Amino acid sequence: MAIKSLPTVCPSCGCGLKVKRLECAHCATAVEGEFELPLLTKLNAEDQDFIMNFIKTSGNLKELAKLYGVSYPTVRNRLDALISRVNQLEQNQENQSQ
Amino acid sequence: MTQPPALPQKPLRTWLFNPFYYVAGVKALAIGLVIIVAASLLGAVSNSHFDGILDFHTGLNAPVWAFVVEGLIDWLCLSVFLYIAGLILVGFRARAIDLFGTQALARWPSIGMPIIALFPGFQETTKAIAANPTAISSLPPGQIAVLIVVTLMTLPFIVWMVALMYRAYAVSCNIKGAKAIVSFIIALILSEIVSKAAIVILFMQMGIIPLSA
Repeated sequence: MAIKSLPTVCPSCGCGLKVKRLECAHCATAVEGEFELPLLTKLNAEDQDFIMNFIKTSGNLKELAKLYGVSYPTVRNRLDALISRVNQLEQNQENQSQ
Repeated sequence: MTQPPALPQKPLRTWLFNPFYYVAGVKALAIGLVIIVAASLLGAVSNSHFDGILDFHTGLNAPVWAFVVEGLIDWLCLSVFLYIAGLILVGFRARAIDLFGTQALARWPSIGMPIIALFPGFQETTKAIAANPTAISSLPPGQIAVLIVVTLMTLPFIVWMVALMYRAYAVSCNIKGAKAIVSFIIALILSEIVSKAAIVILFMQMGIIPLSA
């Protein structure tokens, strides 16, 4: 069975989703409440993959460029774009919590 | 490791108009320098000079080294001005090796121009004009047609080369939008003036251009 991707945005109004219920896969104990999604889960799958590869290559952009088959500045520009996106998400989160 | 994302959908288009997506740094510099030397040697065959960033002229007799030096001056002038622009706009985030390397690689359409200059009849026409510049007004229609055809054929290569130079700058310094375009145009104009002047002064000193010219 294919792994379902985690929805982070409301399909109806486009606002960010929160976690309402968590359940133990083993004994079915459930916890209900209102939990924020971790910031990194709000990134798209491609960005999450990029972060995973970044960690696995110890943050070595040359290695990462080799892995992706692209040039060093392409990878570095991609990282810059990702940093902007994370900053923007953090800002949104701060605005929502105020 | 997880799967890297798919590469651009149109790789041929990317290779033609943004090869820096795949190649930069030392590799781009090595390929670029080979291209500059190859274009200069082809220029020596067809007597074609890259006597300025945006200049392409034929007819002036010169030793082979002069053609190579022209290419290197053009590449260095633009790279230095763009690197200064990058330093002003993004600081030391841009690597010099990427900028100088991608700028050298961006000159690859310049290989096509001296080949076009071998167009039948063009060499004779430019030699006649070089010997007597006023002869251009009395050229037969056939020779004027050859001049127009060669000019029209080389123009797309110059436009393509400038487009690549811009992309190389944008990718190396990660600059986008109006800031990128304006700074590129300023650097292009300044480097055109400096490279042209440097080549003319060098050629005068070496006796390739008469001092009275």
